[in-house]
Amino acid sequence: DALLGCHRYYRSRPTHGIGRFKYLLPKEVPKRRKEKVQMKEISAGTVYQYGDINIQMTSYDLCLVEHFAQYVHRLCNRLSIRVNESYAMPTKTNELLFLEEKGSKMQPDAVLTTHQRVVQIRGLSSTFAPILLEVIQSSQPEGVHLLMKQHTEADFKSRLKSRPELEELLAEMS
Amino acid sequence: LCYFSSCSSWLPQRVPLRGSHWQSSLLEFRTSLPVRAQPKKKKKVDVKKEQAQKERMKKKLKKLEKAAPELIPIEDFITPLKYSESNRVRSLPALSPEESERRVLLLKKWCLFKQKQDEAEKQAIKALVESQQEALKELQLESEELYQAAILRDEGLFPFQRDGPSYTPPLPGYDPPEGKCSDITKVYTQ
Repeated sequence: DALLGCHRYYRSRPTHGIGRFKYLLPKEVPKRRKEKVQMKEISAGTVYQYGDINIQMTSYDLCLVEHFAQYVHRLCNRLSIRVNESYAMPTKTNELLFLEEKGSKMQPDAVLTTHQRVVQIRGLSSTFAPILLEVIQSSQPEGVHLLMKQHTEADFKSRLKSRPELEELLAEMS
Repeated sequence: LCYFSSCSSWLPQRVPLRGSHWQSSLLEFRTSLPVRAQPKKKKKVDVKKEQAQKERMKKKLKKLEKAAPELIPIEDFITPLKYSESNRVRSLPALSPEESERRVLLLKKWCLFKQKQDEAEKQAIKALVESQQEALKELQLESEELYQAAILRDEGLFPFQRDGPSYTPPLPGYDPPEGKCSDITKVYTQ
């Protein structure tokens, strides 16, 4: 027996493990560390399949573009097309100024916000692509601009914050 | 004895004798030969300073590179505080039973309409896929190489752009007022 054969006699005593209490406490869930934002691999696709494709929907109307993005996502789910990601791009704000007829001063007219939603799909077959395009176009709402293009690293980088200090240091070092 | 005297008399009379051992040259008072240690000191300090600077920059770079890049926060998903702070609550008028009945029936009609629309879309997709498959089958029976060329992916398809349809066509001869559009998006830096 391991307990009796051990030369430390107290391990065979009945008081062995007298101070243990951690096994009585509820199990602690390990703290999840903040996941680093890393770029996922961009697949190029084969001769019969397209790689990562971004369906970008832009509009001034937030609700419309949100609902259209949800519709496209559900459509892809229903047609068993793999959806990698479905995210929102940062909002762009434009201030419009117009020149009065009898005046030289620019009057502020309106502040417009442009919203963009992206649905990223992978593995679209070459025969099904025109069908999907047709379906999406037929249900495209008013004022929503549709753009479908291949996913590149630059697209991913445009979502990240700019780091001017790092760029300055890199410019100085080289 | 006579030789010693001749040696001492050989010395020219006009050479000034050195006052002390600090006076290193035979020139006038208060001038000294350039000391060699001075330029060496400058080089050492410069090189050390530059090396220390480079090391500091490298450490800064490492620290900045360690920090993971962050995504730009999206303003659409952040509710402005002014909508959550106020205590204003809207009080809606009570609905009459006829009105609520009418609304429920309208909702049911809308659900039915949407279901028919969805079914029609599914049928359309199915028909498109079926006809495409049939056409490809016939093409394969016709000629194998044409079939292979048809199956290949179209490189000119993407990027694909299309503007949404508009409610009204553009007005002919419309003269828009002059103005400008400036981008005032908030720039986030890490």
